[in-house]
Amino acid sequence: MNRRALQLILAVLVFSAVTPLTERGSPLAGQEAALAEQESARDIVDRVDRLMRGESSLGTITMDVVTEHWSRTMEMRIWSLGTDYALIRILSPRKDAGTATLRAGNYIWNYLPRVDRTIKIPTSLMGAAWMGSHFTNDDLVKESRMIEDYDITIAFDGLREGVEVWEFDLAPKPDAAVIWGAINLEVRKDDLMPVWVRYHDERGDLVRTLTFSEYGQMGGRLVPALMEVLPEDKPGERTTVRYSDLEFDIGLEESFFSLRSLRGDPGRR
Amino acid sequence: MFRSPWWRIGWRNLGRNRRRTLFTTGGLALGFCAVVVMGGLNRGLIAEMIGNGTGMLDGQLQVHSSGYLPERSLYETIGGRDGTDVERLVEAVTADPVVSASTPRVFAGGLVSSGEATVAAALIGIDPGREPNVSTILSTLDEGRLPRPGANELVVGREMARQLFLSSGDETVLVAPAADGSMGNDLFTVAGIFDTGLAELDRGLALVPIAALQRLIALPESRIHEIAARVEDPWRAPDAAARLAEPIASAEAEAKVSPWTTFRPEMVSYATMAEGVEWMLLVIVFAIAIFGVANTMLMATFERRHEFALLLALGTTPGVIVRSVLAEAAVLSTVSLVVGAVITAPILVWWKLAPPDMSWLYGGTTLAGGLMRPILRVEYPWLMIVEAAVALFLVAVLAALYPAWRSARVPPADTLTGR
Repeated sequence: MNRRALQLILAVLVFSAVTPLTERGSPLAGQEAALAEQESARDIVDRVDRLMRGESSLGTITMDVVTEHWSRTMEMRIWSLGTDYALIRILSPRKDAGTATLRAGNYIWNYLPRVDRTIKIPTSLMGAAWMGSHFTNDDLVKESRMIEDYDITIAFDGLREGVEVWEFDLAPKPDAAVIWGAINLEVRKDDLMPVWVRYHDERGDLVRTLTFSEYGQMGGRLVPALMEVLPEDKPGERTTVRYSDLEFDIGLEESFFSLRSLRGDPGRR
Repeated sequence: MFRSPWWRIGWRNLGRNRRRTLFTTGGLALGFCAVVVMGGLNRGLIAEMIGNGTGMLDGQLQVHSSGYLPERSLYETIGGRDGTDVERLVEAVTADPVVSASTPRVFAGGLVSSGEATVAAALIGIDPGREPNVSTILSTLDEGRLPRPGANELVVGREMARQLFLSSGDETVLVAPAADGSMGNDLFTVAGIFDTGLAELDRGLALVPIAALQRLIALPESRIHEIAARVEDPWRAPDAAARLAEPIASAEAEAKVSPWTTFRPEMVSYATMAEGVEWMLLVIVFAIAIFGVANTMLMATFERRHEFALLLALGTTPGVIVRSVLAEAAVLSTVSLVVGAVITAPILVWWKLAPPDMSWLYGGTTLAGGLMRPILRVEYPWLMIVEAAVALFLVAVLAALYPAWRSARVPPADTLTGR
């Protein structure tokens, strides 16, 4: 579904952690912020966009999905490498435990322990909900970058709720194959942490909002530990993702993200 | 009026030039025959389209929760969250005099997977015992058998089977988002493969015993999405829907009964359009006939201008002359009608009883979402027969008006002296 801009979701959902932020808090921070202000909007977004590239990580998340008809909590383990590889395994509830999703490049496979089978998700279903949440399969896959598909301008620069922020307007380039009509993105100036992303359709109507909060140190880096998706067309529904632990640079290889690992035991690294 | 001698004179005049009368009568009779038979074929085509279009899967009547269509939400079951007494509801629908059978259904969207291949499919939970009485899809099984009630078995379309490399007896995985938010998944055995000839069904549909699908998507047995019913004469479905609305609504607060004319409006549009074509046919055929008849009558009256001149000279009024020519035309059209009926009736009856198989010429096709068998089916076009008879009569009389008017204005003295 959403294309490029979902890089950010991926960034936090699948990877998390912010490379440049390791230097935050140093005496250089002020200078860097000043420098950043002089950068074009495009450069800043580019930096936010590439925060997690090339990193391997292992984290545990709790995903709460609330819909009109049911709500459920799932605990998952997520292994990732760069933006191309991810393995997500459900730990609880018991009914779904062991169910796993493997993403490698543009493809997604699901492993179903109940029937001990692996299923490749067909292209036609990439827009469907992932594990009943308000994320789509596509959100897990799309990894092309915002700066390539969108013209970016600074819409706001200043204090909001006591924090220095930038708000960016992202308008799709004429020939970009994206489904969003516009994206707004708010980023904190001093640590480049994303605050929220708002996705609009072609008519300019808000479709969904993604918010980040509970910034804190995890695995030695500053990350937003809580992420929430609010679909505009289904009031009252939401999906929240919270990290309970997160490690970085754990030395995963591409070969780890195989169908064998997909079927493998949950305890395996 | 019929006692008047002019009728007898008209009748006798037809015998004066028998060959000319024969051609005119034959022309009108053939025109009548052509219009009626074409009308019959057209009605046959419409009936075939509606019968197959609604009979393949939909049924002619459907009962849903009022919020079910068009979204088809998994949660919008008849009777809401508590479900309904399915047996009682099926009985209530079947109780209507024109409903011959009805059956419950559950719908879900999901994946059918086999080996490396996976396709998205519409999963329909059916009652294998009742479904064949309502729809014809299960009669198109060209391999295997019906799924057993409640078993983890399914039948899939020929094209889906091809894409998944399935044949009967093979194992598949069904995955579908369940009503409790989980991902329902289980192993199912292919019981059979159907081949409807309709691409979207053969590619994207899997039929599963209703209880097995309810297990997969975590719905209790009392929760169903649809009751589909069969009405032998599709055109009686709207009345039946109106009749059923009250008892169904009183039993199930939120249920709604719809006839096929509501959920397949494109078929109604097509039928209306096809009926419009009948009028064009009528107008074209008889517009040609009117000139033929006018020409004949003009010739016939021209030959008799001496006779008309004499009659006028003897004191006959022009009105009587006009009437005599019109009477002749009326007699002509009556004879044509009788001849037309005599040649049309056996053709129509034979065609209706033994529709010719055209599969040597063309295979099954689809029209407005309905499959057309390769046969030339006719239905008796009663309305068209009456319309064609009236049109034939009017054409003959109208065509005689001008010759009659000419005849009444023959100048007696000039004509009789040969000037």
